[in-house]
Amino acid sequence: MSLVNLAHVCSHLQNASKARLGLTSIPVSKMHVNLMLGLQREGFISSVTLGGTTPPTPFLLQDQIDPEEHSDMAQKLAAEPWAAYPSAEAKSGNLLGGREISYNVKVPQNPARRRLWLGLKFWNNEPVLKNMKLVSKPTRRIWLTSEDLGRITRTREAAYVKGLTHPGECMFLTTDRGILEARECVERKLGGMALCRVY
Amino acid sequence: MSVCRPVRCLFASASLPKPASAPKRSFHASAPRAARKRRPHYPSIKAEDLKLLNQVAETNYPKYDTSETALLEKRYTPAQIVAIKAAETAIDSRDIVTQGRRRTDPWLLPYEDDLAEVDPVTDHAEKLDPSDIPGSHDFKDVNEEERDEAITFLANENLAKMFPDGLPEGELSEDTQRQLEEAMGTAVTQAVLDPRASFRVKNVHAAAALSDPRHSIVMPDLPRIDNRMVRQTRRLSSEEEEDPRQKRLLQYLNWDKQKLRSIRVKTLVVHGVTNQTRMGKIRSLYYLTIAGNQDGLLGVGEGKSTEPDEGRKQSVMAAIRNMRPIPRYENRTTYGDLEMKVGATKVQLFSRPPGFGLRVQHLIFELARAAGLQDLAAKTPRSRNKMNVIKATWEALCNQKLPDEIARARGKKLVDVRKVYYGGSVH
Repeated sequence: MSLVNLAHVCSHLQNASKARLGLTSIPVSKMHVNLMLGLQREGFISSVTLGGTTPPTPFLLQDQIDPEEHSDMAQKLAAEPWAAYPSAEAKSGNLLGGREISYNVKVPQNPARRRLWLGLKFWNNEPVLKNMKLVSKPTRRIWLTSEDLGRITRTREAAYVKGLTHPGECMFLTTDRGILEARECVERKLGGMALCRVY
Repeated sequence: MSVCRPVRCLFASASLPKPASAPKRSFHASAPRAARKRRPHYPSIKAEDLKLLNQVAETNYPKYDTSETALLEKRYTPAQIVAIKAAETAIDSRDIVTQGRRRTDPWLLPYEDDLAEVDPVTDHAEKLDPSDIPGSHDFKDVNEEERDEAITFLANENLAKMFPDGLPEGELSEDTQRQLEEAMGTAVTQAVLDPRASFRVKNVHAAAALSDPRHSIVMPDLPRIDNRMVRQTRRLSSEEEEDPRQKRLLQYLNWDKQKLRSIRVKTLVVHGVTNQTRMGKIRSLYYLTIAGNQDGLLGVGEGKSTEPDEGRKQSVMAAIRNMRPIPRYENRTTYGDLEMKVGATKVQLFSRPPGFGLRVQHLIFELARAAGLQDLAAKTPRSRNKMNVIKATWEALCNQKLPDEIARARGKKLVDVRKVYYGGSVH
């Protein structure tokens, strides 16, 4: 598990936010995926999608249908106009009541060509994710106990890690229960290796 | 020490071992303590002097004699008189003679502060309340006839006061005629305003109390002090010059002068600048001023002019006009740590717990005080250019991210539990 790639991801996300990008991609690894899902859970990014070298189709366009299908549908509707309304049969087929959105994204067979596509968030003309930095370095890993984390989340310094003093600051750690946020680790009394801090 | 101690010593003396008297050897050249002349803590007073002291104390601070106690009894209850006498005996008059000191400082009052005299400027005017009026307090509203009668009577009384030698009679010059008319006018007005004209009171004391200023709830005017010093320093509101710039500012802010006066203004940076033209150097002065209401508003303004006063005024007006709200956590510190960079200057501000104080450098201190922040720490790790430090601090304080906003941006729900736990008694 190299932290060099994570360092690249951190600075890339900062740069992408500064450039006001809506969508950006990072190399895929298990740690990246889990960390990005953690970021999404904390609300720093809007979407995490596995895809290829080209960005996945934007969500708004994914629901659109191709022009050929469109002409087929027009013919069908001319014959049976009632098909425009949702029927009981169609509803029963949808298990989650339309809440789950499934995207038909093409993922390359070759793992080296896979990318993780992230949707960045902006609010009040400002990026939501402004700062993302490594805590452990490739040459110096830092492991924190749950006591240390309790002190750090209360803005005090512990184990040479500065407290989370910025408003809304988060720290992510890898634990034996996966990648978790520092406050969650305190709640579950878990220690782990600090990865990065975000605000 | 108890009383029986010496007795116990008597009985026990035989059995107690006496400490062996060690040979007294001095380890240094100076005389031992016992050999030095011992002075008593208090100077001993000779019997003659004591007699003289007693005499002085008796003449300067005599005891109450019978006539005085009789006067006291009229004013005070027996219990109060007992207390007064106890207080008198508690202090020895000889102590007052030996230790008592009179004030000599420049702020001492021009009269004895024992309530025997009342100074109209420094003291409150004497007040009387209804319990001081003997007899009944009943009064009746007068009817119209009685009112006219009373007004005539009172007007005559007032006129008599104004002309103690009697009204001028016979052929009158124009001046005297006008004076007389004016005096009659005031006498009648005073009579109409007099409460005796509108109420009829049987009790003589109550009637007198109606026109007694000591019974009025309105405080009497302060006496007009008239000497050379006062005349020279007196300023009239009509003489005061209206600054057109200030007037415009007040219009812009929709404030009155009172509110403008409550703003704390301080000029923090002054330096000369020169503009090199082909005619030569043009010198002018640059000012940087901050303004704040000490309750969450802070502004920074700059001004520059060849006239020192003009530039200063410019900067003050700009600072007040630029005032912006500053979010404060619990009205005392910032929301988390802040960082701002202006030019080569970087300012880091750290929020701190209650009672920490303003442990920051002087410029940031002035800004924090003007904004009403009480707990703050700061670092200026890079350049400490005064102007840039001020601007960076101001920017940092203005552009704080509030927790509510952060929660909205991340799509989280935020609840302030302090409002629940402390019964809503938080800022």
